[in-house]
Amino acid sequence: MAAGSRRYHARLIVLALALVVVASTVTVVNAADTPRRGGVLLAVIGADPPSLDPHQESTFATIQLVAPLYSTLLQTDPYDYPKIIGDAASDWKISQDGLTYTFKIRPGIKFHDGSPLTAVDVKATYDKLLFPPAGTRSVRKNSYSAITTVEAPDASTVVFKLKFPSASLLLNLASPWNVIYPKKYLDKDPNYFMKNVVGSGPFKFKSYTPGASFEGERNPDYFVKDRPYLNGYKFFISTETSVRAAAIRSGRAYIEFRDLPNAEVEAIKKQLGDKVAIQHTPMTGQWGIAINNTVKPFNDERVRRALTLGLDRYTGGKVLFNLTGLKDVGALLRPSTEFALSEADLHKLPGFSPDIEKNRAEAKKLLAEAGYPNGFKVILKNRNVKLPYQDFAVFAVQEWRKIGIQAEQRPEETAAWFADGRDTGNFELIVAPTVEASDDPDIFLRRYTTGDPQNWGRFSDPSVDDLFSRQARALDPAERRKIILQLQKTVLEHAYYMPGLWWSRNVVHWTKVKNYVAPPNHYANQKLQDVWLSED
Amino acid sequence: MGTYLAKRLLLIVPTLLGAAALVFVIMRVIPGDVALLIFGGEAGGQIDAKQLADMRHRLGLDQPLVVQFGTWLWGVLRFDFGNSLWTGRPVIEELLIRLPLSLELAIAATFVSVLIAIPLGMLAAIRQDTWVDYLVRIVSIGGLAIPSFWVGILCILMLVIFFGWGPPLEFTPPWIDPWANFQMMIWPVVTVGYRYAAVTTRMTRSTLLEVLREDYIRTAWAKGLRERAVVVRHALKNSMLPVITLVGTEFAFLIGGLVVTETVFTLNGVGRFVVDAVAHRDYPVVQALIFLIAFGFVVVNLLVDLTYAWFDPRIRYR
Amino acid sequence: MATNIEVAHATASATLAPKLTLAGVAARFVRTKPLGAAGAVIILGMLFLAVFAQALAPYDPYVGDYGAQFQRPSAEHWFGTDEFGRDVLSRIMYGARIALFVGFTASLIGCTIGAFLGVISAYWGGRVDLLLERLMDILLAFPQLILALAIASILGPAVQNVVIAISIPVIPRVARVVRAAAMSVKENVFVEAVQALGATRRRVILQHIIPNVAAPYIIMLTAQLGAAILAEAALSYLGLGAAEPTPSWGLMLSGSAPSYAEKAPWIALFPGIAISLGVFGFNLFGDSLRDALDPKLKGRG
Repeated sequence: MAAGSRRYHARLIVLALALVVVASTVTVVNAADTPRRGGVLLAVIGADPPSLDPHQESTFATIQLVAPLYSTLLQTDPYDYPKIIGDAASDWKISQDGLTYTFKIRPGIKFHDGSPLTAVDVKATYDKLLFPPAGTRSVRKNSYSAITTVEAPDASTVVFKLKFPSASLLLNLASPWNVIYPKKYLDKDPNYFMKNVVGSGPFKFKSYTPGASFEGERNPDYFVKDRPYLNGYKFFISTETSVRAAAIRSGRAYIEFRDLPNAEVEAIKKQLGDKVAIQHTPMTGQWGIAINNTVKPFNDERVRRALTLGLDRYTGGKVLFNLTGLKDVGALLRPSTEFALSEADLHKLPGFSPDIEKNRAEAKKLLAEAGYPNGFKVILKNRNVKLPYQDFAVFAVQEWRKIGIQAEQRPEETAAWFADGRDTGNFELIVAPTVEASDDPDIFLRRYTTGDPQNWGRFSDPSVDDLFSRQARALDPAERRKIILQLQKTVLEHAYYMPGLWWSRNVVHWTKVKNYVAPPNHYANQKLQDVWLSED
Repeated sequence: MGTYLAKRLLLIVPTLLGAAALVFVIMRVIPGDVALLIFGGEAGGQIDAKQLADMRHRLGLDQPLVVQFGTWLWGVLRFDFGNSLWTGRPVIEELLIRLPLSLELAIAATFVSVLIAIPLGMLAAIRQDTWVDYLVRIVSIGGLAIPSFWVGILCILMLVIFFGWGPPLEFTPPWIDPWANFQMMIWPVVTVGYRYAAVTTRMTRSTLLEVLREDYIRTAWAKGLRERAVVVRHALKNSMLPVITLVGTEFAFLIGGLVVTETVFTLNGVGRFVVDAVAHRDYPVVQALIFLIAFGFVVVNLLVDLTYAWFDPRIRYR
Repeated sequence: MATNIEVAHATASATLAPKLTLAGVAARFVRTKPLGAAGAVIILGMLFLAVFAQALAPYDPYVGDYGAQFQRPSAEHWFGTDEFGRDVLSRIMYGARIALFVGFTASLIGCTIGAFLGVISAYWGGRVDLLLERLMDILLAFPQLILALAIASILGPAVQNVVIAISIPVIPRVARVVRAAAMSVKENVFVEAVQALGATRRRVILQHIIPNVAAPYIIMLTAQLGAAILAEAALSYLGLGAAEPTPSWGLMLSGSAPSYAEKAPWIALFPGIAISLGVFGFNLFGDSLRDALDPKLKGRG
């Protein structure tokens, strides 16, 4: 054979070998990515649910336990937050004037007792949410104040009629809390689902031991073919953070869905190395301090501005992040989302400029002008929970000492904290977080309007009220953004409320847990439909 | 003896009634409305005044206090403690789920402690004022000084840091899976039992010392009986009484130890249930639990006093 | 009316109590009870730290050095720093104040009120006695920690509230012991004679009853001191005691101390050692004091 053709053959062989190597690598990679069926997902949940009915609760404990057992009309895409996709709804139309929403219900969905899920059940569910019968409660009713009626003209169509166009409605309908119940049980007893489960989700209810554990098993008749991958799940309830962290470390649990403090995360990482993955996401929640605008001296805007100027939020973010996950400085909506203030705008607002010495000097000047040249004493009420409530308060107290304000922290048990803050207004300053299941501006900003039950600071500014109702009806995103930015600036310039820091969380799990993406809050994306375990 | 017993039994009734009333009042005085709390969450949810009033009415919170107390008492007499305000399930049900763990913890801790403490106390008494005695005394005083929750924390830490081991997350009764049960309970038992063992050791030691000085023991010595015979046959028998009565006096600390230890190890037991229920203002649960604890406490004290009176006639005739 | 070992002891010592001089007792104490003397040294050490904390503590316990979070023990920070960068040694020193304050105040208040009620109950007898006894029985139906827990929940987390919550369960326990001691004195023939001679009630109480209940009172007082410190630690641990940023030893052990314990074990270690040492000292001292005051055990070393 000629030398040239020998070289040609050699190259062919090398090429073939290379192709084989590449092909096998690709197959190996693909094999690793092919979901494995089977296994039971073990997790630790950090609180005890009061009941199993998400309509009536707002604790993550309830939703994390029962979300895999139910379907909702719409959902946020588990892999592309906050895109809205259908769950029980296959598609939907919104009328031109924004007053009619029509949903088509997917055929073939069955509840775990065998009966079909139809529009009638969706209507019954939403009637319960919007017009709660006596003896039940609907915690998020106000988010749907735009809706007048819900109708089911046929078995696969649901129509929502509104009295004014609502920019947030679709996002709120995708709330994970709005699980669909079968009508026949609601008719018998609207509180049936506080203790019972009949859903249409990828998993069926297996067992529940209050205070201890909750189990679900695979639903073989689930309407999404070939899902779920898991055989079931078992969640252990454990209220002590260090015990939950120890459970992950020892492998008794594979994932913690809510948050673990950085110290624990570091220790887990050090011990388990590559076996464990940490998803760090920002959270739809911020910790701030409500000021009682109706008592002296806080009815004086100068005093309020001094208080917010005195907080070095940027250093706080660095210090507290080691301890609690409070990290990002932002205004009233989550930083780097669609409606957040830009950094430039933020720096112009009192308390948000990075020059802390200048801020402190101005604070002292304002205090002197208001008649308190030597500062004053104040009580900062708080919830009796260490992370991040107490740590945040310790930071605030330390900061205010530097401008002459002697704050004493007074922690109260949850019941008393709600009573003082929300119910009676019996406080001067109180730690008041804002944590929700989505970034919806309606939900986050409603509390700055006059008379809202969440307006702990009890202030009233008609311009804010006006801005709020305009943004709720603004269907054009650009227009809405302008109004929302103006609202935030107004609230912060008058310092009606002091936002502190935004929360970011660590979701820790063993790498064998695949296909779980932690969304920016611990309520969404808990259905576990596409999650699988690469080994038991 | 009979009149003493009758008198004591009769006195239990007003005591328990008074205790029940005290608990009732305390729970109502604590600030914080359970109806509001039920609506709450991290951010508090959105409150509808009508829903709130409706809920309070259903929970019977709008009745006058005396009526609420009467209703509750009537239920207690029929073993009905009402439903938990927090979960809606019957209190009895909630209690029975958590009782086995706490019972096992209490009994195992008492048992293990006594098993260790009595021989140790005996040893210290017999070898009084030697280094053995001093060592035992120091260790047992330590048991009274070291906070039990710190012992618990150190246990957990040690296990996690050095062995990467975490206890099982669920309670399995010993007759179903003894090994899992052991793994979960051993460290809480040690934590609760340490204090109890310390007290029992000290009591054994001091009563044994007293008895050893008694005349009849000296007589036995003089008669030439070997030391062991003397101790076991005479002294030990007579020094057991105060040790047994210790069960009664230490019962209170045992309950306290349960509360703290169950919190440290996050065990799903009655002790932690009390703390949680108080935090939730779950009146029916708190009332039932504290009432039952007081009931148990009173009964145990009564039994202890009866035992004491049985053996010491002077007490009976006061 | 209920009986137990404490009462039996108290009765015995009340009827036989001889007169003691303070100096004589002290000297003999150190000689014969080295453990008790050791306890006294520990207590005095704690007192010294508490009183001179301001002069001795190298840093302000309330102010953290943000750049120095979680520092190991070193020359600058002997006990290291905590999660906020606060010096642990300084916090322990100031914590002695809280521990001693709570310990002394709670047991003093509880024991004094209890003794007062016990003496009244014994001496006045009749309906007063019956009523007080019933009240004490009701309070005694609750284990100490449970009652303290419930009371602390009402009052909210603060140091003064902890004192109240801890002292209340002590009252009936002391009342019971003191009542028994006072009763046995009252029935003493000598006292009856003195009363027949026309001594006023006040004279009888002051000159006869009180000296004879002094011994059980002091015994209960020292016994409750250590218990009070432990109770404060437990309540703070459960979140019902002192509030941040107060440097209470129990508070330092709660919440995130176990979480940080791997990263910074000194945060959980030193407060626990401090509590143990303090209660240890009080127990040693109290033990030996009781041995000294109880003549039945005299001469046994």
